[in-house]
Amino acid sequence: MSSRNVFLQVARRGGSFLSLVKKLWQHPKGRVGLILVGLLVLAAVLAPILAPYDPYDVTQRAEKGLRPSLQHPLGTTITTGQDIFSMLIYGTRVSLLIGISTGVAIAFLGALMGVMAGYIGGFVDNLIMRIVDVLLVIPTLPLIIVLTGLLGRSYFVIVLVFVLFGWTGLARVIRSLVLVLKNSNYVKAAELAGASRWYVMTKHILPGTSHLIIMNTTLTCAGIMVAEAGLSFLGLGDPTAISWGKMLAEAQGGGALLFGAWWWILAPGAGIFLAVFSFMRIGIVMEEIFNPRMKASSSIYKLFKHLNNDYLDEVFRSMDDEESAEPRDRAGPAVLEGGHE
Amino acid sequence: MTANHDRPHSDPLLEMEGVSVNFPVKRAYPFSKRRWIQAVTDVSLRISEGETFGIVGESGCGKSTLANAMIGMVRPTAGTVRFQGDELYALKPKAFKQARRNMQMIFQDPFSSLNPRFTVYDIIREPLYIRGGASEAEMKAKVLELLKLVGLDEEDMYRNPSDFSGGQRQRIGIARAIVLNPKFLVCDEPVSGLDVSVHAQIMNLLMEIQESRNLTYVFISHNLAVVKNVCQNVLVMYLGKVMESGTSDALFANPLHPYTKALLSAVLDVDVEASHDRILLKGDTPSPIDPPKGCRFWQRCPFAMVGCETIPAEMVDVENLHQVACHLVSGFSPEHVAAGLDQPVSSLPQTWAD
Amino acid sequence: MSDTVLEVRNLKVAFPAPGGVIRAVEGIDLTTQKGECVALVGESGCGKSVTALSIMKLLRTPPSVSRIDRLELDDRDLTHLTERDMERVRGKDMAMIFQDAMTALNPVMTVGKQIDEVYRRHTKLSRKEAREETVKALELVGVPEARSRADSFPHELSGGMRQRVLIALAFACMPKLIIADEPTTSLDVTIQAQVLDVLKSMQKDHGVSALLITHDLSVVANMADTVYVMYSGKIVERGAVLELFTDPRHPYTEGLLGSVPKLSDDKQAFVQIPDTVPHPMHKPDGCYFHPRCSYATDRCRQHMPRLETLDKGRQVRCWHPLR
Repeated sequence: MSSRNVFLQVARRGGSFLSLVKKLWQHPKGRVGLILVGLLVLAAVLAPILAPYDPYDVTQRAEKGLRPSLQHPLGTTITTGQDIFSMLIYGTRVSLLIGISTGVAIAFLGALMGVMAGYIGGFVDNLIMRIVDVLLVIPTLPLIIVLTGLLGRSYFVIVLVFVLFGWTGLARVIRSLVLVLKNSNYVKAAELAGASRWYVMTKHILPGTSHLIIMNTTLTCAGIMVAEAGLSFLGLGDPTAISWGKMLAEAQGGGALLFGAWWWILAPGAGIFLAVFSFMRIGIVMEEIFNPRMKASSSIYKLFKHLNNDYLDEVFRSMDDEESAEPRDRAGPAVLEGGHE
Repeated sequence: MTANHDRPHSDPLLEMEGVSVNFPVKRAYPFSKRRWIQAVTDVSLRISEGETFGIVGESGCGKSTLANAMIGMVRPTAGTVRFQGDELYALKPKAFKQARRNMQMIFQDPFSSLNPRFTVYDIIREPLYIRGGASEAEMKAKVLELLKLVGLDEEDMYRNPSDFSGGQRQRIGIARAIVLNPKFLVCDEPVSGLDVSVHAQIMNLLMEIQESRNLTYVFISHNLAVVKNVCQNVLVMYLGKVMESGTSDALFANPLHPYTKALLSAVLDVDVEASHDRILLKGDTPSPIDPPKGCRFWQRCPFAMVGCETIPAEMVDVENLHQVACHLVSGFSPEHVAAGLDQPVSSLPQTWAD
Repeated sequence: MSDTVLEVRNLKVAFPAPGGVIRAVEGIDLTTQKGECVALVGESGCGKSVTALSIMKLLRTPPSVSRIDRLELDDRDLTHLTERDMERVRGKDMAMIFQDAMTALNPVMTVGKQIDEVYRRHTKLSRKEAREETVKALELVGVPEARSRADSFPHELSGGMRQRVLIALAFACMPKLIIADEPTTSLDVTIQAQVLDVLKSMQKDHGVSALLITHDLSVVANMADTVYVMYSGKIVERGAVLELFTDPRHPYTEGLLGSVPKLSDDKQAFVQIPDTVPHPMHKPDGCYFHPRCSYATDRCRQHMPRLETLDKGRQVRCWHPLR
């Protein structure tokens, strides 16, 4: 199964990807999401430039436990005097890297499995679905704990487990859609013309699921980021990396609550919130874009707010017959109240 | 087997003998008795080149399954399908694909039969692309030619199906169906989903194309008036079996099977002045799972006799090129009559006059 | 005191949309008499369903805007009625039969319960009494074993049965007016005949007026007494069914009647009306039908004709009515 072909297929969709971004931008909520994600990505990429201090610097003993100030916009840690703002910026790297890479890997694996199960059916379908059933039963957290104990604490283990167990949700959903798509008449028409299974899968089925994949992936990333924060909090992540979850753990262990160092807790918490919020926002807006029925109500309302009553009257007047013989009801037209929302 | 309205001077293009298609019903729990949907049972027919063959019936009668079996989409559980003399399902994969390219289908719902993400150009070009062997320029020229044939413009090429009305989408579907120059076209209720004023446009287009390219049509519909107008031979199906068949002239002049008569009277006419006896059937179409052993229509038949429940009706020739499967017509054997099987099932009103 | 059951005067409905306004209904008048079956005929997009919903006052103000001069049901003025009062009218004095029974019926309630609800809302019957009426209603519409069938859910019934349930629902309180919106379009031909038969006998036997909305001319021919033909938001012809079908005056009516294939036809090409209905946002100047009309003149291209009354209840909207 050449994943290269699939990749090319996805790359060809680049044009429509841009138009999707454009639509997101036009939607007010989507714009917010896009800007936030943009900022996060920027922070992750340009971390060394943006961070005022070296976040790993634990030598500044004099700077310990400082409140937010001009020099340290988010203060410093109590235990080591690290600049929290710099740590926050570097923390985006871990969150985004893990969130996005896991999400994308799940997208590939889940879509592949879902399409194969749905389209090929029969034994393959049964096999894949039974695997899904088994994977869903296995609890991931204890597994991660056990594996990190065996292989050492690292994000690789976490990502591996997430991907190996996380593709099941997407696969199920994609499979349902594929079952519907494969009975479409245009698929039948292609089969009549002699299309191979591969052709139908890549040209008709897979593009038909692209919306679902993108939406699901966005929301998955958000979920992964929260999960990662939780695991880092538990100390299962890479001890040398800076992660928001780890920051929260350190804050708790370092007595932030005791000493009222609210900035130490707020910063990583806000970071997690913003990351998850922005991805979810984009996901929800995408659902509205892909499902036109959901969009209707909000935009129609806005249209009505700006309606010019004179314009409406003119429209209704234009519906009258010219120089009508019998005069219309003198009382004038009444607005038909059909129940306002 | 239905013959043509003149002596067949050539071999039939498509021939089916004793075709049955059964689908298994998913078992409620393992080891329970296996039940079968008898979608099509023992159907035989002959379609000549250039003719329009009508299949009439309501939902659940098996017409779509029959059509699918004709074009190689569904393998029959029993019986043979012969296309151009070759047994279709016995062909090697390559020959099978080639044979299938000679058959195409026009679907009922114009809104779901075109991929909404494709452009009109992609859609019409697709069969050519799949088959291969044509350059980009050749394909484009062919698409343009067909667009004009079905009454659309060049600018429509790069638009999406969602920009078009139902009638226009059906035209696109027709263009796609003939791009490979097939010999055989199955039209599955091609105008049922369209507005009345558009019906005529699409039907006329289909008839023009048939004439200019000498195509063979299988026309599936529940609208008997249209079928009468365009088909040479007709098959009336109910719950998977053929009730009546013959040339359309013979069948419509002298409908014999109670179901055919009910269908005809149910096709309400726009002729307000003509009042005719309406035959109203009892009840609803039963499920095709484990259908009755006798005549499959007996439960709703206003003329049912006791024996109809258990004894299947055989197809008999009524006149030249007209056959019916009905005990009313063929009668019971003397032993059955002696057993009182020809008594009408009680308390069934026969007709309601308008 | 009069025999008029429904009177609609000058109904206009528009749907503002990005890029313009969808002119769904452009000033139509409708009347029904007691016991009469009036058909509103037209193709998709002509505005007939919107008309039905407006009469029931079921159109919501976003996304629609509507104006009406007068809406009267059996001499009662509904024009300015509040939603609260309308709820008492709907189901009791005026009821609707929708096209798609699966979406019109509540899938998680038994059909018996749904009919019971109508009784309990509009009459003072107890639960037991309401159920008795429900069973009676189901028997009336021809549902076999009505008492046990009342405990079925909609998805357990066949299409024809569901449609009968809708009819029973509508007729439950013997309203003065029934609006049936494409009541049989989704059904098989033989089932359609059965259901229409029930509808017709219910209507005639109980003297209920009916407004039948459909695109199927054969249904009209068999059920209606009077016909209104609608095109692109306007009434273009009105008349008694026999006259209209044998002697149409508007070119569109003639075209429609001609394009319906008849069993009595010889094998010939189908009569077709060229082109398609105008887009509801971009309608042509003058008469809306002129681009498709073989009799169109300059006058037709510039001015919209008025709806003129000919003799005996005949109305046509055409500069050059046929014959």
